[in-house]
Amino acid sequence: MWKAIKDRETGRIRSNSFANRFKSGRILSLQLSNRKDFVSPHRGSVNSLQVDLTEGRYLLSGAADGSAAVFDVQRATDYEASGLIAKHKCIFTVDKQHDNGHKFAISSAIWYPIDTGLFVTGSYDHYLKVWDTNTAQAVVDFKMPGKVYRTAMSSMAMSHTLIAAGTEDVQVRLCDIASGAFSHTLSGHRDGVMSVEWSTSSEWVLYTGGCDGAIRFWDIRRAGCFRVLDQSQTQLGIRPPILKRTAVSSKFYSAAKSSLGGQNRLKTLQSKHTGSQSVKGSSSAKASTEKSRQKRIHPGMLSTLDRATAHYGVVTGLKATNDGMYLLSAGSDSRIRLWDIESGRNTLVNFETGRIQTNKAIQLDTSDDPALVFVPCMKTVKTFGMWSGRTTLMLRGHYESVNTCCFNSSDQELYTSGADRQILVWSPGGSVEDEMVQDEVAEDKDNWSD
Amino acid sequence: MKKRTNPESSASKAKKRRREEEDEEEVGCSHTAIEDQCLPLEDDLTFSDTCVALRMMRAQFPRIDQASTPPFILQSQLYSSVNDRTQVDRELECLRREKVVRVFKLNTGQDDHAIIFLDDYLNQVDRIVKRMEEKRQSDLEVFKWFKGHVLDSKLEPSIGHHELFSLLSLGGKVKDAHITLLINAGLLTRQLIDPDMYWFAIPSIGKLWKGLLQGRNELLSLLKRKRHKEMFLAELEKKRLRFSPLDVRFHIRDLIGSGHLKTVQTTSGLIVRISKD
Repeated sequence: MWKAIKDRETGRIRSNSFANRFKSGRILSLQLSNRKDFVSPHRGSVNSLQVDLTEGRYLLSGAADGSAAVFDVQRATDYEASGLIAKHKCIFTVDKQHDNGHKFAISSAIWYPIDTGLFVTGSYDHYLKVWDTNTAQAVVDFKMPGKVYRTAMSSMAMSHTLIAAGTEDVQVRLCDIASGAFSHTLSGHRDGVMSVEWSTSSEWVLYTGGCDGAIRFWDIRRAGCFRVLDQSQTQLGIRPPILKRTAVSSKFYSAAKSSLGGQNRLKTLQSKHTGSQSVKGSSSAKASTEKSRQKRIHPGMLSTLDRATAHYGVVTGLKATNDGMYLLSAGSDSRIRLWDIESGRNTLVNFETGRIQTNKAIQLDTSDDPALVFVPCMKTVKTFGMWSGRTTLMLRGHYESVNTCCFNSSDQELYTSGADRQILVWSPGGSVEDEMVQDEVAEDKDNWSD
Repeated sequence: MKKRTNPESSASKAKKRRREEEDEEEVGCSHTAIEDQCLPLEDDLTFSDTCVALRMMRAQFPRIDQASTPPFILQSQLYSSVNDRTQVDRELECLRREKVVRVFKLNTGQDDHAIIFLDDYLNQVDRIVKRMEEKRQSDLEVFKWFKGHVLDSKLEPSIGHHELFSLLSLGGKVKDAHITLLINAGLLTRQLIDPDMYWFAIPSIGKLWKGLLQGRNELLSLLKRKRHKEMFLAELEKKRLRFSPLDVRFHIRDLIGSGHLKTVQTTSGLIVRISKD
């Protein structure tokens, strides 16, 4: 380590790479922390974890007994074992006994992205509540048509404060805190929506994954989704090939599924739909009968005809990378797929997952450098390299299945929670002091004299 | 010399080590090379790992005379034989696009895909047509349209209803009876996922499909009954499965690739163990 510091002083390593080298080393040595512990007040499986986006200091957790708790990640409430183990108790908790508390399990608890004064919880009792952190009171309630599976707010929204809620109803609703009403209803999914995620590159784009296995991209400024991800549309490599004909995945009849863009797709979908109504006749006669019997569908609703699936099962988790270029999706077919957002294609990176939980939504997380994905796989948490798909670490510590992973990049710590009601901390093994001691020249202990 | 005459028995040891496998791949190539002499060398000059693994496993497919199914390879078997899974997926995609192989989704409830060489599949379709001609069925031109238009342009494992109709009508007037004929022949099937989609299927796969499911369970229960849930690979190979016409090697490769079993190298050989996760 001293050598690295000297290299930075003399300019051989740039300061960014110096910092990244330490961070990567720490992340690759994650293990169950023996210095830090969260005392979990929950009496049901913990379904959601989020560290706040502004300071990275407060951890919000939501559990299946209808309770939500906030912990301070950096400052411990008390110490045990003569100061070696830091115990973090919750700062406050809101549960069923509370006046306006949720009556059933909380499935999702997220911070207001602008500051930690508000947080939003969504629950199986069909309600989405916005809470004031300082007074621990629910200030706004939204009643949803079904159980709320996931809620999300955009971390880069400059002009809206919309909460996207995915429920067991087929429509995704956007709730506005400022007005207290629903501002948008996005239709297109054919079954409940289990995962919702805002884009990290645009404040208007929302990604949703449904129980029908489809992943849809919505631009909330216009009607309908502008892309549906199809697992058979693939590209070999993490970036699409340049200067090549992009429509290579199959030869088409009437350019049915051309990848040339949404516009073309909508037109051909409409012609396909009307084509199914007049099946007989040769192709030339068909064209004229199509136009005469054209059923009018709003261009925004044409995407409902597109039945492409991204997974052979429910889409249980979605995570966009921080640079906004890739989307990771986890499905109940025990597959994790990496999608290129720009071209909308499956990059065919194979993540060696064994089995993933199928009935509940899971929360994935990513780290930027080294590019890793943290995935809860039944009772273990597996870490995969994002571009190669190989398993780097397997973290075993939970007694029951793990539901969420939350990575704190400022401290390089991973927080995971599961059905065993615990929130575990995984921190880099080995402290800085140990490293410094190792570098010193080993003394020859026999070399002493009086 | 011994290797050349007995590729099957020596290939059984090959699945463990990459180095040995490369030798076996040469043998596998030479077998098929004799058949493929008509192809220009340019197309056949270099092989990808996946392509070689596919040819080798096709050569090892057990010969079952009652069921006339073409030899198929499961995708999980490929994962167990080539190290890098992403590379397998990408090379398989290339082979699929070049129409060397065809991928089918099997209705096992798990994410199983079967890979068949296109030549074998087309031979099978021809055999079905011949059998139906003998029974003096009518409307057999639908098979020609199927081969010519549908198989040629639709490379995915599934096809929507109206797309199927429009592709078949390129050949002539299509009736519902034609589609029924295709389903009866076993070339198309429906799965529970989506009521509107037809899935391409391997004809007369029923017996082998059942054997696949039962064989997997039997092999896993065999290992679970052991005290430490593990066994030497050499011993396991010699067992005979009662419920499956497919041999043990097929099932071992499949279970290792799908993650149910894992292999550990020890001083006395490879041990196969049930994986805990």
